Amino acid sequence: MGTIRDNWRILLLVVVLIASTFALFSPTVNAGESAGGAGTASEGITNLQYGLELSGGTRIRAPLVGVTAEEVEVDTADSRDVAREVAAELDAADPSDVIVRSTTQTTATVEVTAEGVTTQQLGSTLDSLGYSYGSVREGVTEPTRAEVVRVLENKINEAGLSGGTVQQVTTATGGHFILVEVPNEDRSDVVDLVESRGSVRVDIYYRENGTQTTREGVLTGDDFQNIGTAQESERGPFVPVTVRDQAAEDFQAAVVETGVAQPGGTTCTYEQNPAGTQPCLLVIVDDQVVNSFGMSPGLAQSMSSGSWADDPGFQLTTRNFSEAQTVSINLRAGELPARLDLEGEDGGTSSFISPSQGESFKTDSVITGIIAVLAVAGVVFVRYGEAKVALPMIVTAFSEVLILLGFAAGIGYALNLPAIAGFIAVIGTGVDDLIIIADEVMAEGDVSSRRIFQSRFKKAFWVIGAAAATTVIAMSPLAVLSLGDLQGFAIFTILGVLVGVLLTRPAYGDILRVLLTEDR
Amino acid sequence: MVEFDVPEVDYTRYTNRQLAAVPLALLAVSLLVIAGWTVVTGSPVNPGLDFTGGTELRIALDSPDGQAREEIQAAFSAEPESIRSVPSDGTYIVTFQSGAATTSEIEQQAEAAGFQIRSIDAVSAAFGGETQQQALLGVVVAFLGMSVLVFLMFRTFVPSIAVVISAFSDIVIPIALMNLLGIELSLGTVAALLMIIGYSVDSDILLNNHILRRSGDFYESTYRAMRTGVTMTLTSIAAMIVMTVVATLFGISLLAAIGTVLVFGLTADLINTYLLNLSLLRWYKFEGVAR
Repeated sequence: MGTIRDNWRILLLVVVLIASTFALFSPTVNAGESAGGAGTASEGITNLQYGLELSGGTRIRAPLVGVTAEEVEVDTADSRDVAREVAAELDAADPSDVIVRSTTQTTATVEVTAEGVTTQQLGSTLDSLGYSYGSVREGVTEPTRAEVVRVLENKINEAGLSGGTVQQVTTATGGHFILVEVPNEDRSDVVDLVESRGSVRVDIYYRENGTQTTREGVLTGDDFQNIGTAQESERGPFVPVTVRDQAAEDFQAAVVETGVAQPGGTTCTYEQNPAGTQPCLLVIVDDQVVNSFGMSPGLAQSMSSGSWADDPGFQLTTRNFSEAQTVSINLRAGELPARLDLEGEDGGTSSFISPSQGESFKTDSVITGIIAVLAVAGVVFVRYGEAKVALPMIVTAFSEVLILLGFAAGIGYALNLPAIAGFIAVIGTGVDDLIIIADEVMAEGDVSSRRIFQSRFKKAFWVIGAAAATTVIAMSPLAVLSLGDLQGFAIFTILGVLVGVLLTRPAYGDILRVLLTEDR
Repeated sequence: MVEFDVPEVDYTRYTNRQLAAVPLALLAVSLLVIAGWTVVTGSPVNPGLDFTGGTELRIALDSPDGQAREEIQAAFSAEPESIRSVPSDGTYIVTFQSGAATTSEIEQQAEAAGFQIRSIDAVSAAFGGETQQQALLGVVVAFLGMSVLVFLMFRTFVPSIAVVISAFSDIVIPIALMNLLGIELSLGTVAALLMIIGYSVDSDILLNNHILRRSGDFYESTYRAMRTGVTMTLTSIAAMIVMTVVATLFGISLLAAIGTVLVFGLTADLINTYLLNLSLLRWYKFEGVAR
């Protein structure tokens, strides 16, 4: 019993080490994709997850394009009317670029998410329309940001980019960013995916009173009930969709009225001969015509008889399969209320690491860490020349790293380069403290009595505690500020210091005591 | 086995002024370098891509070095700010200033030229500016927090201020060296500067503790503190030199930057702790308290 009570620190260390090893290697602990979060990839024999830097992938951190007027007095007016009025006054904005959100009975926020609209322009627009407002600022509102996150998540899922994550980040200075991380994907692909607003609509292009006109938005994203995945057929790639009942009636009426559904169907030559074509349906993605097509005689027949609306299935055909995929993804994910600002002066940051580069960073940094530990071990051995002191020191320092790695694996923290730098720093401070303990305990010759050992160990511990406290203080700003990846460095340094002070260094004291003292 | 031991310095041969003169002169020179740098370049340190914004590209191409550089120059419409080669894996790190070209343009041009893109890092100018403010704030908060903690621990002015001045000098000297050696301030080097605060205070606390809280002769306490402290710092320096060399060979610039700055800071710490801090403590112990 006595031995257990005396050596409980060593026992505790052994227990924690076993737990860490278990967390690190046991297949049952695999925190999996869910807990890992931010773009992680677990691989190899350990349960460690690696961040983008070490596994490859793309990260984009960007603000949203937009200006917002707060506390706009809208009275009882319909918010959609307000949006339409504001959009009409601003050249750069469509109605879909203006979002009016009621905050109270009589006030609302007005956001304009078109590019190139300044706060002054929004202010003077509201003035000229006679709406009084509280303030105008850069940026969009919280609900808009939340919606952007939701839509982007959908887009990434629909595009089949597994492991991709989207989240909001707020900087210490109050800036808001959207952070998108997608493992194993090229930068340009991710940029293409997240940069587009993803608005999909169907227009009718037809002849009215002798001139060609366009009826816009006979079908928009909200009008589709079921959206299929992109498919290939003899007539080309298409996305099968079902139109909502209400919209189906209107669409059917519009198609008949404009002559798309005329007896015998229509043939569209919009691309070759826009002036002389029969009526066409146009698929528009982000204001670009993606495809134009006429109508088959059979479909035209059911449209004009009115039976189509009872079973409103429809095929959005495209020119190639990847366009069909884009249309399907955009329709399923929904339209982004605001775009990510990627290339502007005030824009965000993006980084891409190829999987092969990530792989070499991973092995190289592990080699770097091991060589650093060996260097430390070398210095310690040369200094003490006594395996009894030096060996436990190195073993203890290693066990600190093992505990940290086990912790990282257990919570599914994605390791990145700064975190590995943190490990190396932890080895540095850890060994420093062990040197303090060893020197203090062995000062003035051998320690044969346990009481002397304890009092010396306590003295040493004061210095270690003080040093640990300063390290924690020095690193905590980095852990709190959003300075990118450096958070990982700070978190692991602080964690390492805490593990050291609470666990490994007391245990090293006990080990030394067992090895050096004689009376039991 | 070879053993090394920290040599005992005969401090009695030097006056406090003589001891303090060396580190204070170093500090003064460093401050001058930083002040001069601010006057000439408008900034106390050379801010890197993380703070100024820009695009960094790591590419692999199969050409001998001289030809590769020409190919890289020819491939991009914008003039690269720098082209560095990483010998260990035959890649090149090409940086562009903010606004020179959009990242997508650079990416397309690199692909068009047939380079294999290993990594891309793009930071917008405004984002970099904000990062810079935050990094500065972080260093200031860390330093102030450390100072307060040191004063709380020792509760006497001279020993506490000795620790704070040493730590200050430990940060300033590496910054001046960074300017002279052309090392840019990056997130990695900011982290290293914060680490220096942590590392540097260790040996100072150890020294203060031995001298102020232990019975025994001043020089004996000093020697014991030095034996432990110098070992600690040398171990850390060894670890950091190795990390710097290996990371440089592998082209992991973040680890190399952290390592380099820590080596500077730890070396400065040896000088500051055992000359500056010690002389202040000796003055305090023999003259300050008596007065």
